[in-house]
Amino acid sequence: MIDFSQPTPVILSEVRQLTPTRRELVLNMGPQHPSTHGVLRVRLTLEGETVIACDPVIGYLHRGVEKLGESHRYAQFVPWTDRTDYVAAPSNNLGYVLAVEKLCGIQAPERAQYWRMIMAELTRIASHLVWLGTHALDIGALSVSLYTFRDRELILDIFEKFCGARLTTNMMEIGGFSREIPPDLPEMVRSFCRYFPQAIRQYKDLLTENPIWLGRTKGVGVIEPEVAINYGLTGACLRGSGVNYDVRKAMPYLLYDRVEFEVPLGTHGDVYDRYLVRMEEMRQSIRIIEQCLEQVPTDGPLMAYESQYVIPPHKNVMTTAEDMQRHFIWVIKGFSPPKGEVYHAVEHSKGELGYYIVSDGSPIPYRVRIRTPDFVNLQSLPYMAQGAMLADIVALIGTIDIVLGSVDR
Amino acid sequence: MSDTRLQPATSESSPWDTTGYWGPTDPEQHPAVRLVRERFPDAFREVVVFRDEVTIRVARQALREVVDFLRTHPELRYNHLTDITAVDMLYLRERPRFDVVVQLYSIPRRQRLRVKCGVEDGETVPSLVPIFAGANWLERECYDMFGIVFEGHPDLRRILLPEDWDEGHPLRKDYPLRGYRDYVQPGFDSPAPRVRGTLRRPGP
Repeated sequence: MIDFSQPTPVILSEVRQLTPTRRELVLNMGPQHPSTHGVLRVRLTLEGETVIACDPVIGYLHRGVEKLGESHRYAQFVPWTDRTDYVAAPSNNLGYVLAVEKLCGIQAPERAQYWRMIMAELTRIASHLVWLGTHALDIGALSVSLYTFRDRELILDIFEKFCGARLTTNMMEIGGFSREIPPDLPEMVRSFCRYFPQAIRQYKDLLTENPIWLGRTKGVGVIEPEVAINYGLTGACLRGSGVNYDVRKAMPYLLYDRVEFEVPLGTHGDVYDRYLVRMEEMRQSIRIIEQCLEQVPTDGPLMAYESQYVIPPHKNVMTTAEDMQRHFIWVIKGFSPPKGEVYHAVEHSKGELGYYIVSDGSPIPYRVRIRTPDFVNLQSLPYMAQGAMLADIVALIGTIDIVLGSVDR
Repeated sequence: MSDTRLQPATSESSPWDTTGYWGPTDPEQHPAVRLVRERFPDAFREVVVFRDEVTIRVARQALREVVDFLRTHPELRYNHLTDITAVDMLYLRERPRFDVVVQLYSIPRRQRLRVKCGVEDGETVPSLVPIFAGANWLERECYDMFGIVFEGHPDLRRILLPEDWDEGHPLRKDYPLRGYRDYVQPGFDSPAPRVRGTLRRPGP
């Protein structure tokens, strides 16, 4: 356990000049490599099969999302957040929407907050399933990916039932949800919760005791807790090293202080521990969803009714003059939050996702900064790769759990 | 916990667990504000509290010393560097041009703090890489997007844009949304018209 009574030590990052000597070989991996999870390019310096230096080259999927955020109105930017981390789109919506709500000083109704938690935890499971399938596929276990994508379909069906889209959902709005919950949606989520624990047991049967899996993951890519903190890692990369930091527990947002769940911590900080941590996180997510389904009110508003910042409900727009005028102004001009700046972080499936928004009092944000977890986590790849074997690089890229849309933004 | 290799997170894991947010009282009573003002009376500029978030502004030259002090002081322990970014203040004030924003978090004390410093175009900021290894890419991104030079950074080059990018730094406010050049898309004779070439900012 890490001792916080002393300052955590500084890890001096060493930059090697990539000039090959006679025995060294510079090898280019990616950007179109099947196991780099997108368009990551890694420049490796090898001596034999041992990696001496590793330099990730990113930016092949850079679309300037932050610049686009400075040129759209607040509500227009929500669909763009889907496109940053496209395998966990509702969590991205949630981070942005909560940041804007904090800036405006409003809060979604209780029922919407519970449904946001349910959607965020379903997203976490869906994202972890993609991670597990591709990670195992990289290492050589093909069949796991077939089962994980089978079960991810069930979650995508729930998303499709709820908002009509499966991947880039655009499901949350500033102030809550604009769509009513379909009447059979709670039963769909409940039946998923009944089904999913045995699916986790299936994956564990395939991997946890598998000698090939153990040989490829145990003792590989060890990050000590002090190093993890100094690199600013978050999510399973930090908790796999045994540091207790989960935004849901440390600074509860939504209603996470009303549900019971545990935060799993690793002990060795290797690839295998991060695998175990993520598997346990999926089980805890199921616990959270079940408690949310018990506690959520069956009826009540899903959208905050704030005259200044939130689009009025459609029924009122059609029946009352005031709300029709508000609707016009909201759609044509947008809304103007007060001057100021906020940073709001949520626990994304990959770590801490933070949105830093600077408002100058106009309907367009002055600055939108997206602190994506995998951009920061990917920095630890050179540290883990030093001295590793070439074949371990695919395991190390998989264990960080990157999505290049989110790294490059 | 289903696996014996994992350990559940207990309250002993971080012995200094305190309350969650620091309450909205007098900002001068905030321990970081008090201690930084005592230790760096010349470099301390101001403190701002908005939505329970504390922002302190310090002088540019003292940024690294202040952050290192916040990291090592036994009452503060801001040991987790969350983010480094910058804001182009071109439309908001005369000078300095940029704000460099450092988000800090204390894992044992569960508190956030934002440290800012103003930078004029062409001036340098002391790099935080000597105290936080995670500052490396964040500062490279800042350099790439704004052109702010971090003094003492071991490897300051572009990160998201190509290394031979010659159009400047795109997150500056005077950089047009579609760039300076017109690109002809495949299958078209001329570049698409600039319908949103200049950003229209309606008043509040």
